[in-house]
Amino acid sequence: MEKDLNILIHELKIKIVDTLHFEDITPDDIVEDHQLVGGDLGIDSIDVLELVMMIDKDYGIKIDNKELGEKVFANLTSLARFIHENLKSVGN
Amino acid sequence: MTGVQVYITGMGLVTSAGCGVFRTREVIRRGEKRIRPLSLFSVSQDNPLPVGEVGEFIETGGIPRTHCLALTAAREAMAGCMDVPDAVIMGVTTGGMLTTEQCLKKGDANPESFKYHSPNSVTEFMAHEWGCHGPVITLSTACSSGAVAIKVALEMLRTGKARRVLAGGADSLSRLTYHGFRALQLIDPQGARPFDQNRQGMSVAEGAAVLVLTASEEVPDHAIAEILGAGLSCDAYHPSAPHPDGTGALQAMQAAVRDAHVSLEEIDYINLHGTGTVDNDLSEARALNTLFLDKKPLMSSVKGAFGHSLGASGAIEVVVSALAVSEGLVPANVGCDVPDPELKLEPLMTPLETANIQTVLSNSFGFGGNNASVVIGSPGRVQPHRSSGLKRPSPLVVLGSACLTGAGNAEMSLRTVSEGRSCRGMVPDTVLIGGLPPRLIRRLGRLPRLVLSLASAAHDESRLKDSPGSIFVGTGWGALSETYDFLTKLFESGEQFSSPIDFVGSVHNAPAGQAAIRFGSVGPNITTVGGDYSFEQALMLAGLLGDVDDTLLVIGGDESHRVLSSLFDRSARDDDTPADGGGGLCLRRSESAAGLKTAVMFYETSRNNPSVISSLMVSLAGGERVRERYGAVFAGIPAGCRKRGEEQLREFLSISRFEGPVIDYRRFTGEFASASAVASVLAIRCVDGRELLGGLCGGKTVYLKGKGVLLVGLGDFVTAIEVIR
Repeated sequence: MEKDLNILIHELKIKIVDTLHFEDITPDDIVEDHQLVGGDLGIDSIDVLELVMMIDKDYGIKIDNKELGEKVFANLTSLARFIHENLKSVGN
Repeated sequence: MTGVQVYITGMGLVTSAGCGVFRTREVIRRGEKRIRPLSLFSVSQDNPLPVGEVGEFIETGGIPRTHCLALTAAREAMAGCMDVPDAVIMGVTTGGMLTTEQCLKKGDANPESFKYHSPNSVTEFMAHEWGCHGPVITLSTACSSGAVAIKVALEMLRTGKARRVLAGGADSLSRLTYHGFRALQLIDPQGARPFDQNRQGMSVAEGAAVLVLTASEEVPDHAIAEILGAGLSCDAYHPSAPHPDGTGALQAMQAAVRDAHVSLEEIDYINLHGTGTVDNDLSEARALNTLFLDKKPLMSSVKGAFGHSLGASGAIEVVVSALAVSEGLVPANVGCDVPDPELKLEPLMTPLETANIQTVLSNSFGFGGNNASVVIGSPGRVQPHRSSGLKRPSPLVVLGSACLTGAGNAEMSLRTVSEGRSCRGMVPDTVLIGGLPPRLIRRLGRLPRLVLSLASAAHDESRLKDSPGSIFVGTGWGALSETYDFLTKLFESGEQFSSPIDFVGSVHNAPAGQAAIRFGSVGPNITTVGGDYSFEQALMLAGLLGDVDDTLLVIGGDESHRVLSSLFDRSARDDDTPADGGGGLCLRRSESAAGLKTAVMFYETSRNNPSVISSLMVSLAGGERVRERYGAVFAGIPAGCRKRGEEQLREFLSISRFEGPVIDYRRFTGEFASASAVASVLAIRCVDGRELLGGLCGGKTVYLKGKGVLLVGLGDFVTAIEVIR
């Protein structure tokens, strides 16, 4: 499980850099337990919605309300855990 | 002295209630909700979201839906009016987008299918219908467009540039806006519930409102209401979210009330922006609480009843406000069951039919933090202190200028032109980014990068410490990359997925909004979309709307796109070399500041206007004056209308007997809509240096001897900009 999660975290770092068009940071610059939104990376509400679309498209998982979004996007670990659990639940 | 006041003497409406003011009036009277699941186009999701769709509407063949909506409203407004309007000014955000989407989806590559794509084609269509020669101006400031159009009309009437103006807003539903707002999670699945404690968003809608606005010293017999004033502002905060404290909304309302010379106590009713999104309603409520404290007038939003028709809504709500004044009909805040206690507002829960309403404030706010408020009053309730005769537009003094072309930045472009070579081509990526920080531009496509670079360079060249107060951007075609990427991703995913970043970036006023954020510019933030004459529109409005003695930025810019440019822009299609670029001017509207001066002298359509060149000569005060005042003419002839443009130029030279150098500047800039912005910068540098850049006239030195340069735009429209010492 932890191994799967680490792979997912690594994958998400690459997808975040790519989806949000970061040119001045690399996937390794995203720290798992740092605040994801409103932190050093400058990720804001539009970025979060862009990530919501990416997660829906790439993992088939919907995040369609603000309360859930705030919980899930707290940091990269919480995001990866959420995706990991939901992938399991749909038997993916 | 008798003052000129501006009256609504005709109005027409199309909303989700149907066609005609009377249908909307009846729906308001009954407090009805006219929001239903989308049926206009199919969506892949199981349940189409509720929208404000015009159900009974019959389209005329071959013309996009937005154009039909606008025309229907305009016919009602103009019924019984025999006079030709002097100007048509419309707020439109997506123009022919619904048609464009259908064509792109099925791979239609026939440029003819896209000829009504531009928002400006709506305005031009209306002008043609009523034989109006112009000005013909299109504002695209997102959801405030319709209200901004009324502010522009008001200033044209106050300054005597027109006596009668057809003004309003129009937008049809489109996949772009439906899926865009859906991706932003801003649509309430139950339909908009403005100010309700459980509100979850807006309902996208369509519609049109057109008003006949008449300037008069006396109250006209058929006056419905009076436009007392209007105010514009920009949050300069975020591309799509409003400032949480409502500071921009507050500033627009204060400016409107000041402009109207009414006190807050005189406001009887506020037609709220009230979209139903959590953040918008909160921001507006905070602004209202700050402004009115606990003495609030009646207030309601009609967006729970009709939805939010984007560029049309501001104009629709001015019509609704006029009904409140003329008939005492005050709409209920349909959709709101339990007002959100956090907002500390009491929206009207049932309609009033016989209220005594003398003065109304109508709010419209949009993406890019673009805010407009309009004050509407009973006709003739004129206080003597408001009568000040015609306002005079002040000259625009040039403080700095910059351009970007295929040759690079201003210095590179000037050097290239000096050597007699062409700058045509696409702006190199490294130059486009300039010194802009990567973090700032990571979400920005080609056009916003171009506009930001021009804004920074023009401002730097002015060496001013203070930031510009207002920003005016003219773009022929807007952010093509973002628009194309949004639609491509949407269609590739079977209309499942769309990008919020691309949607926010696709809005025509996104680049101007970015420039405002960069500089903290909280004054008017205007984007005009007028094909090859967009920069001229922006410059004209800077002279009308810029605050006196404030610093302004006026920018014209267009990007070349590998697919869309040749579909939309016939001049780009006719040229082998893809080209883009633009020019930016840092200006001050001032009577006294030292420096070169610039102004738009003329703007008329040439369609069905055989005497357009004679009219131009009248505006320029005759041939002798032209020969005395200008040392060179820069002629802008778009490739798509070269034959007509060359004929016009010959006629102009023959009537004016101008014998100085005539520079056919598109040969140096390449073919893109805002080439005239680059030409303006070249003209400024020439007038400043008192001689023409050698390369412009085959290598020989031409001294201007203190004279200016006249830039003449030719083709579908004829325009004139002067740059003088």
